[in-house]
Amino acid sequence: MSSLVKCPHCGLRPREEFTIRGEVATPRPDAGADEALWFDHVYLRDNPRGEHREYWHHSGGCRRWLVLTRNTLTHETSDVVDASTLKLGERA
Amino acid sequence: MTSFRIDGGTLIDRNDVRRFTFNGEVLTGFGGDTVASSLLANGKQLVGRSFKYHRPRGILTAGAAEPNALLTIGRDGRRDPNTRATMAELFDGLEARSQNCWPNVNFDIGAANGLLGPLLGAGFYYKTFMWPAAFWEKVYEPLIRKAAGLGRASYDPDPGYYEKCWAHCDLLVIGAGPAGLAAALTAGRAGVRVIIADEGVQLGGGLIAEGSPVGGKPADAVLADIIGELHALSNVEIKKRTTVFAAYDDQVFGAVERVQKHLPEGEINPHRAMERLWRIVARQVVLATGAEERPIVFGGNDRPGVMMAGAMRTYLNAYGVAPGKRVALFANNSQAYQTALDLEVRGIEVAAIIDPRTCPNIDYDGKARLIAGAMVRDTAGRKAIKSITVRHDDGRDEVIAVDALGVSGGYSPIVHLACHRGGKPVWSDAHVGFMPPENTDGMTPCGAVAGKAGIADCFADGGVAAVKALAELGVMGEAASLPGVEQTAETVDHIQPVWHVASTKGKAFVDFQNDVAASDITLAMREGYDHVELAKRYTTNGMATDQGKTSNVNAIGILAENKGVSPGEIGTTTFRPFYTPVSFGALVGASKGMDFQPVRKSPLHGWAGRNGAKFVETGLWYRSSWFPKDGETFWRDSVDREVNTVRTKVGICDVSTLGKIEIFGADAAEFLNRVYCNAFLKLPVGKARYGIMLREDGFVYDDGTTSCLGGNHYFMTTTTALAAGVLTHLEFCAQVLWPELDVRLASATDQWAQMAIAGPRSREVLSKIIDDDISNEAFPFLAAREVSMFGGRLKGRLFRISFSGELAYEIAVPAGYGESVADAVMAAGEEFGITPYGTETLGVMRIEKGHVTHAEINGTVTPADLGMGRMVSAKKDDFIGRVMNLREGLVDPDRPALVGIKPKSPSDKFATGSHILNPGEDVSLANDQGYVTSMCHSPTLGHAIGLALVKNGPKRHGEEVVIWNGLAGTTVTGILCNPAFVDPENEKLHA
Amino acid sequence: MRDYPLENRGAFPPHVAAGAGASISLAPVKGGFVIHLLGDAKSDEAALKKALAKIAPELGADVRKSAPNQWFWVGDADVSSDRLTEIQAGLPSQFALADQTHGRVRMRLSGPSSRTVLAKGTMVDLSADLFAIGQSAMTQIGHIGAMITRIEDDSFELIVLRSFAGSLWDELNHMAAEFR
Ligand SMILES: [Zn+2]
Repeated sequence: MSSLVKCPHCGLRPREEFTIRGEVATPRPDAGADEALWFDHVYLRDNPRGEHREYWHHSGGCRRWLVLTRNTLTHETSDVVDASTLKLGERA
Repeated sequence: MTSFRIDGGTLIDRNDVRRFTFNGEVLTGFGGDTVASSLLANGKQLVGRSFKYHRPRGILTAGAAEPNALLTIGRDGRRDPNTRATMAELFDGLEARSQNCWPNVNFDIGAANGLLGPLLGAGFYYKTFMWPAAFWEKVYEPLIRKAAGLGRASYDPDPGYYEKCWAHCDLLVIGAGPAGLAAALTAGRAGVRVIIADEGVQLGGGLIAEGSPVGGKPADAVLADIIGELHALSNVEIKKRTTVFAAYDDQVFGAVERVQKHLPEGEINPHRAMERLWRIVARQVVLATGAEERPIVFGGNDRPGVMMAGAMRTYLNAYGVAPGKRVALFANNSQAYQTALDLEVRGIEVAAIIDPRTCPNIDYDGKARLIAGAMVRDTAGRKAIKSITVRHDDGRDEVIAVDALGVSGGYSPIVHLACHRGGKPVWSDAHVGFMPPENTDGMTPCGAVAGKAGIADCFADGGVAAVKALAELGVMGEAASLPGVEQTAETVDHIQPVWHVASTKGKAFVDFQNDVAASDITLAMREGYDHVELAKRYTTNGMATDQGKTSNVNAIGILAENKGVSPGEIGTTTFRPFYTPVSFGALVGASKGMDFQPVRKSPLHGWAGRNGAKFVETGLWYRSSWFPKDGETFWRDSVDREVNTVRTKVGICDVSTLGKIEIFGADAAEFLNRVYCNAFLKLPVGKARYGIMLREDGFVYDDGTTSCLGGNHYFMTTTTALAAGVLTHLEFCAQVLWPELDVRLASATDQWAQMAIAGPRSREVLSKIIDDDISNEAFPFLAAREVSMFGGRLKGRLFRISFSGELAYEIAVPAGYGESVADAVMAAGEEFGITPYGTETLGVMRIEKGHVTHAEINGTVTPADLGMGRMVSAKKDDFIGRVMNLREGLVDPDRPALVGIKPKSPSDKFATGSHILNPGEDVSLANDQGYVTSMCHSPTLGHAIGLALVKNGPKRHGEEVVIWNGLAGTTVTGILCNPAFVDPENEKLHA
Repeated sequence: MRDYPLENRGAFPPHVAAGAGASISLAPVKGGFVIHLLGDAKSDEAALKKALAKIAPELGADVRKSAPNQWFWVGDADVSSDRLTEIQAGLPSQFALADQTHGRVRMRLSGPSSRTVLAKGTMVDLSADLFAIGQSAMTQIGHIGAMITRIEDDSFELIVLRSFAGSLWDELNHMAAEFR
C-alpha cells in the first residue's frame, strides 16, 4: 500500500513519489581504469540480507537523487542523504 | 413463520421498518439491523451452503469473522458477492442471495458431494486431480469452479465512485471498544491529533452488547457520554464503518471506510465515494482490536443454530433478536455465563450449560442446569439444530432438545495488525491464546487483544496504553476512567483448552468456510504435513476469505494436541494484509475508465482536433496520428496522401511531445560532451547537433538534437518515449557522477509548442510568418536560434533539422500561442497545398529516409550497428558508455547492423518482426541472419520497405534473402539495400 | 505581412468555468508568470530575493522552492519576452532562468474542504499548524506531479505541467464534487 521515506529536502514522503535505481555500485571508474573495474561498476550488484544502500530518485518531488540505506530484512531505513554527497563529501 | 424479535436492542430503531428480499422472499427488519440480525429475527437460521460439501450453514458470529453467512448483496453493477451478512447493514430494498446452492438453499444438488466426502478430504486437490494433465484445463478446473465457487462477481461496471485518501495523526486508535474509547479519550483530552477507527456502525464494541449496568449506569448511557465527549474534541477524528486492514512499514496503516454501502440506491450520492481507502500515517498506535471468540470442534458443530455465545449476546442486547426459544450453551470459560444470564433476563429458556471444566468455579446464579465436566459430542437436525448429545464425565450420553446452541471455546486476541510487519505472536497458557508480539514498535496493545476481559479492565487498560503512547510523543496524559467503577483486582479466567471433542462421531469442523474437519488435520499429520504452514496448505484450513479467524487457533491446537506439544511450539502461520477482504473498487479508487491514468495533451491538441486528427495513445500522450480528408476511409489513404504532399509540397506536424530540456551552467558544454558519445564541446552558438547517448554498458540509450542557444545555455530534445528517462538519467549524471560540474537542468517539454514544417516549400511558408532571413545562406542546415515572428509580435526558436529527409524546420513557440501559430502556418501554406500530418506519416518518412527510432534503438544496438560508428568519438577521454562500447562482443563485425530491405516482387508485403534467412537454409536459430525492425508501405516508392538488423548487413546490399514470418507461416523473397531509400545523398536537407 | 491573429490560449478547455460551492472552489489562475530559477551549488534564497527586488521590483518576490537551489518565481503580472530578456541579463551569473509561464499552469483550490480534497491526492500533511501560509511542496496529486503552495488560511495554489492540467482539473473536480 505504501511506506514512507524521509527525503532530506522534502521531508516524509510516500514510496510512490520515488523511483528506485538499485544498489549503489562501486564508484564510476576513471576513464583509463582497468576493464575489470568497469565490469564491476556496470554489472556487479549485491543482494544482501540486511543493510543495503540504494539510489532512490525523488522523481515526484525535488527530483534529487538520494542514497537510501535500508535493511532488506526489517525494511527499516536508517539513513537517507543526497547522492551528491557520495562524491562531494558534505551533506547537501 | 415465527418471529424471533423480542424487546430491547440498543442499535435498532423500531420506527424505521425496512423491507428486503432474501432469495426472493420479502422480509422486514429495522434500521440498525444487519442482514444477519434481520434474518435471525425472521427465523432464517439456514442462510447458505458450505463450500465443499454443500452442508446447510447458518449464522455463526455477529461480526467480521463470519465464515458461513456469506451472501451476494445488490444487483447489476452494485452486486457484491461474499458479503458477510453480519457486517452488511440492512437498507430498504436490499436484495440478498445465498451462495453455493443450486437450485436453492433448501434443496441443493451439490449436497450429494457430502456422499463423496471420503474423496474430498485433505489434499484432495492434489490427489484426485493429478492425472492426466490434459484433464486440468478441460475437465477438472471447470468442474471445481462450478461446484466450489463462492459468489460470482458482476460483469457490469460498478457505477459507484471510489477514492483513496491520506490521513495523519499523532495517535491512531484501532478499535472503539472500551479499551479504544478510553485511549481516545485520554489522548484527546491531552490535545494530540487522534484518529479512532472502528469497523462497526457505532462506536462501543463490547459496550454495545453489554446488558448489565456499568458503574450503576446503563451501558448505553455510559457509551453515549463517551461518544459525546469524543465528538466535542476537535482534535479527535472518528472513523466509523472503517476497518484498519493492514499495518505497513513506517507506521502507515491501510483502512477501508464503507461510506455509502449501507444506503439504498436512491440515497446514494453519486459524487461521494462508496468506499474510501485510507492510508493513515500515525506517529503512535493504540491497538484495541479485541479478541475473537473461538468455536469448539465437535460433531455437527456447523449445524444452523449453532452460534458463538458472544454473538448470541450481541443479537439479544444490540438487536433484540432471540437466538432460539430453548438454548443450550457449551463453554470452557466463564464469560459465556453472561450470555446465559442475559438470555434468562429476556425470558428465553436456557436448557443447559455444558462446561468441560469439572469445577467451573464461577458465581453463576441463574436458573439453567449446569452440566460440569461434560462435552457436546454431536448435534442433530436436518436444516437446523433440533438436539444436542452431551457426553457426561461418567461416559453417559444424554440428548437434550434445543433450537440453538451457544458455543465458546475461549478467546483469540486479534493480533493481526501487530504481526503484519513480521512480528510473531506469543502463546500464553494463562490466556489459552496467542498474544501480540512483545516488541510492537510504536504500537501499544490494550484491552482484550492484550488479554484483558470485562468492560472495566479493558477501559482501564486503554487509558494506560494511551498514557504510554503519549509519553512516546513527549506529551503528559492522564488515563481516563469510568465514573462509578471501582477498579477491582485483575482476575484471569481459568479456561480449559478444548481443541477437539474426542468422543465426537460426525464431522467436526475446524474451518467452516473451507469445510476443513478435524479429521482432515489429523490426516494431514499422518501424511507428513504436520508443519503449521504445510498443514494449512494441505488442508486449506484458514485459506478462505475469512483467513481462518475462527479456525486457525483450533487447528494449531489440534496439531499441538496430536504431537503432544504446546500450541506455542506449533506457532501460527504468517499474518499478512488484508485483515478482512477489501473490494477491488476501494483498491482501484478513482483510477478507472477514462481516469485510469492521467492524459497528457499537447498544446496543439485542439488545433489537431479542429483539423480532423485521429489520435493515438503513446504513453500518456494523445498524439495526432493521421488527418483524414473527405473521401478517405482507410488510414493509409490519408497517410499516403500526407507523405506525398510533404515530399512534393509542404506539411506541418505536431512534435510538441518530444522531450525538451534546458541546460544551463558554466560546465554545460563539458557535461554534454560526457553524456553524448559524439563531440559537443565545440558546438557553436546558433547551431544544433544530432547526438547519441549511450548507456554505461555501451549500447545506445536515446538520440536527439541539442542546440546551443547562448554561452552557457543549451536546449536538448529527446524522443517522446524517453523524455522522462533521459531527464532522470541526466540528473543522475549531474548529481551523482559529476556533482562538481556546474550544470542545471530544467524540463521545458510543456513550455513549448513545437511543430515540424517539412517539404520543399517549407521555407516559403515560414518566410511569411518569420521576420528574420531564413534563406539557405542565412539559416543553413542545423542552424538553431531565436527568431522574431509576426512582425515582432512573438518570439520563437527555429531549428533547421529534419526527420523526414526533406528541407525542414522545427519551430518552437510558447505553448499558449501554439494553436495560433499552427493556424498561421496552415494559412500561410494554403497556397502551397500544405497538409497537417501525424505520427504515421512521420514514421513512414523516417523509414524512407533510413532514420532510426526506438524500434531500432531497442537496447541491443551500438552506434556502429546503426551505421553511426564513426560518430563515436575516439578523441574524448571519457563519456558514458565509452569503455563498454569497445568490448569485444560489441565491436564484432558480424553483429547485426542496420540495413534497408524491400521485397523482390514489388507487390509482396512483409511484417515487422519477421526474421531474415539466407535462401535455401532451414529455419533455425543457427541460420538466423537478423530481423525486420520497422516496415511500412512507401508511397514514394510504391511498394513495401523496411529496416532490419542483419548480420554484416551494410556489406550485403543487393543480396537476396528470405523474409520469414513464423507467426503467419509465410515467406517472401527480399533484397537487402541501403536504408536511405529516399535522397541518400542528403541533397534535399541542404537545399 | 498578413495580420495573423495571435491568441494566448489557456490550458483549460474554454467551457470550463470555475466551480464554486459551499465549502470548496476550484479556479484557474489566468495570466501572470511562472519562472524557473536555477542557482548554482552556492546560491541561496536570500541572495535571489535581493537580486529580484533590484531587477524587477514590480514583479514581487514570490519564490517557491522546488528543490535545492531551484525555485519557481510566481506573480500575477504579465511579463513580456523583452522584459524577460532584461531580467535574464540583470540576474547574477549564479542564477539561470527558464520561462515556464506557458509550461506550468496555476489553479487555486479554496474553501474549508480544500485540505480534505487534497488529501485524496497527496500524502503531504497540509494541516494548518504544520504547513504555514507561503509554504510549498513539490509532490504528487494522485499520479500527477504538482507544487502545492498554501496561499491563505484555507486556500492552496497548485502548479502543474501544462499537458497534465486538464487531467488534474478533472480529478480535482471529481474529488471536490461531494462538497458542492
Ligand atoms: Zn525530495
